[in-house]
Amino acid sequence: MSQPVHASAELAPAARRIAAAAFVRKYFWGILFLLPAVIVFLLFLWMPIVKGFIYSFYHVDFVKGNEFVGWDNYRAVLDNPDVGIAVKNTLYYMFLGLVIGFWVPILFAILISELRRFQGFVRVIAYLPNVLPVIVLYGLWRWFYDPVGPVNAGLTQLGQDQILFMSDPKWSMVSIVIMETWQQFGAGMLIYLAAILSIPRDWYEAAEIDGAGIWQRIRHVTLPSIRGLIGLLFILQLIATSQGLQAQLAMLDGGPNKATLTYALLIVKSAFNQLNYGVAAAMGVLMFLVLGALAVIQYRLSERGERA
Amino acid sequence: MRKISAISLCLVLLASLLAACGGGSNKGEQASAPTNSSTPSSSGDASETPKTAEPVTISIYYPNPDQTELRAIEDAKIKRFEEKYPHVTIEKSDWHYNVNEIGIKMAANEAPTFFNTWATEAKFLVEKGWAADITELWNNYEFKDQINPILQNQFIIDGKVYGVAQKGYVTTTVVNKKMLDEKGAAVPSYDWTWDDMVNTAKAVADPGKGIAGIAPMGKGNESGWNWTNFLFQAGGDIQKVEGGKVSAAFNSDAGVKALEFYKKLRWDANVIPQDWALGWGDAVGAFAQGRTAMVIAGAEGPLDQALNQGGLKPEEVLVYPMPAAEKGGKHTGVLGGDYLVINPNATPAEQEAAFNYITFDYFSEDGLKSLEDNIKKFKDEGKFYVPPHMDYFNADSDYGKKVQDILAKYDNVYRYNAESNALLDGKPEAQYNTQDYYGAMTNVIQEIFSKKDTDVKAKLDAAAKTVQEQFFNAIKVQ
Repeated sequence: MSQPVHASAELAPAARRIAAAAFVRKYFWGILFLLPAVIVFLLFLWMPIVKGFIYSFYHVDFVKGNEFVGWDNYRAVLDNPDVGIAVKNTLYYMFLGLVIGFWVPILFAILISELRRFQGFVRVIAYLPNVLPVIVLYGLWRWFYDPVGPVNAGLTQLGQDQILFMSDPKWSMVSIVIMETWQQFGAGMLIYLAAILSIPRDWYEAAEIDGAGIWQRIRHVTLPSIRGLIGLLFILQLIATSQGLQAQLAMLDGGPNKATLTYALLIVKSAFNQLNYGVAAAMGVLMFLVLGALAVIQYRLSERGERA
Repeated sequence: MRKISAISLCLVLLASLLAACGGGSNKGEQASAPTNSSTPSSSGDASETPKTAEPVTISIYYPNPDQTELRAIEDAKIKRFEEKYPHVTIEKSDWHYNVNEIGIKMAANEAPTFFNTWATEAKFLVEKGWAADITELWNNYEFKDQINPILQNQFIIDGKVYGVAQKGYVTTTVVNKKMLDEKGAAVPSYDWTWDDMVNTAKAVADPGKGIAGIAPMGKGNESGWNWTNFLFQAGGDIQKVEGGKVSAAFNSDAGVKALEFYKKLRWDANVIPQDWALGWGDAVGAFAQGRTAMVIAGAEGPLDQALNQGGLKPEEVLVYPMPAAEKGGKHTGVLGGDYLVINPNATPAEQEAAFNYITFDYFSEDGLKSLEDNIKKFKDEGKFYVPPHMDYFNADSDYGKKVQDILAKYDNVYRYNAESNALLDGKPEAQYNTQDYYGAMTNVIQEIFSKKDTDVKAKLDAAAKTVQEQFFNAIKVQ
């Protein structure tokens, strides 16, 4: 009984080598073409991720050399009172993004799909803010939000008090989300619009024959048809807003009074203001774990969507 | 044929990728090559052209693309320098010092051979090992005794020299006199107080129209920097260094007094911008646009913007010393300045070439000519030239007098008031973790500006505790 087993065990490596050589011969050109992309992927995506994990256990000093500090960086993160504030602000920012911004592209996509004329023109107008350079956007909205800017001028005309959109901590995050919604809803709208326009027309015609009005058509045909896409973009928006820092940094530097200090901004400040790269890496690892979980959910959702 | 082209393209991409990743080490090898061969030049007279010296390449601090006049001046200087030192090749670097980028620049060995920095950064750069010890070059420099000692001393630490002073300032309050006149507000005397500042601001402020009396900065570390002037006027300090330890000192009675003054500006007098979250650029921009009558900064920046972008005339913009807390008190302002620091990663030969370049126009006739050409150029373009408030040389030195003679010849030069200058009292910033302290104070100031009933003392104590525990406790004073 033992002999054949031995023989097959000796044969196996040789067979594997032959199979590997055949594989390489067959796919040589394909592998060669893939190589640059794989190298770029490893160097610029996975190497920083792996290095981030490693640095999170070191006191990083690029000149005098790194020093292993075990879990100290993670302890420093958990001891830092700003982390709690930043997590709370990030969750608030994600929540506002959903409440203020998430439904806007869906609404516009449905409205535009219902237009009989000027559909292309309205689509371009709605997408236009997306191509605005962010520096122009921030300057523009700082003026909109100015105490004597157009919004406050309107409020004063209506006999209302001025709103300090930027310097009132109650308003600062809301103001940023409104601005970003205005700029970014066009991209989401195009995706929804494409999905809506791909819904077979005869479904709508059948609904109309059954006596469905516009609201019933939207409720019973449009929304169920794009349900999978809504779920996917919901997760993608959560992932994107959980990393939000750009407008918070550029417009208010995390203020006033830390009201716009998001988790990602705190990472940037730890790394580049305090030059505490180890602690920043530890914060990044913690964030990676949370976002990784979200990405898995997104993957499962998109898989389910494909199967459906 | 198509396959071969595709393969070639792949290989080129791969090679360029690997070249990009491996560039750093090559640079290091090239940089270290001339070390030995060029050493002899350092023993000779620095002013003599070392004709036999090995080639040296240095990258220099070069003005931004929008600073066309300054670029033209620098280009002329490069040409003259390369004529005198033919073995030195100059590469231009328009990277300008940034606290958030210096760590990365040094780690990647991408910082230029010399770069600009500020007075706050001396201790930080030296402790990090990011500023070369240039004591030997300094000791051999013939004009070292004529350099303005108030400025230069900021970069002499424990007897070693780590940077060369360019220009400096004592923080001032720049006042838009035109706005005061239009409102019929009295122009205060230069020997003014906190009360005079509030009254002047009150006379001009018109919150309904978005006009502020004064715009103390409320965003970024500059917010803490602005407030520190008032801390100093009230007699306070940022930190104390005793027994080898650094302890936070800004939560003193003076700190409380200075914060109470900010509270008064915001809530009682209501003279600061409604949208007070302004950084340096925002506040100075608001001043140039006539949206605030006063701004607190080194005078040069606000003057340049107000005259050359805001369309104001020199007589309409006044530079005041910071106000005294009370009548008879000192007009203390934070002493700041611009410095040039040599990269410690550079070889000795490169460091010497960089030092020669930095001081090339100092105390020279070419420097005077360059200054005059600059003023003329500004005049031709209908612009005003704003000279540094404090220069690298002593104002009453022979060279200082020559400069004053040139400035006096032109009507497009802004002239600082002698009475105001006499009242200036510059106080250097803290030695340790200054930016971290500014950051902590920015949070306190934002709290004061956003909540009327903030407990000033409690907030100051909390900020002092944070700064102490996070930063000062880790410092071991040598």
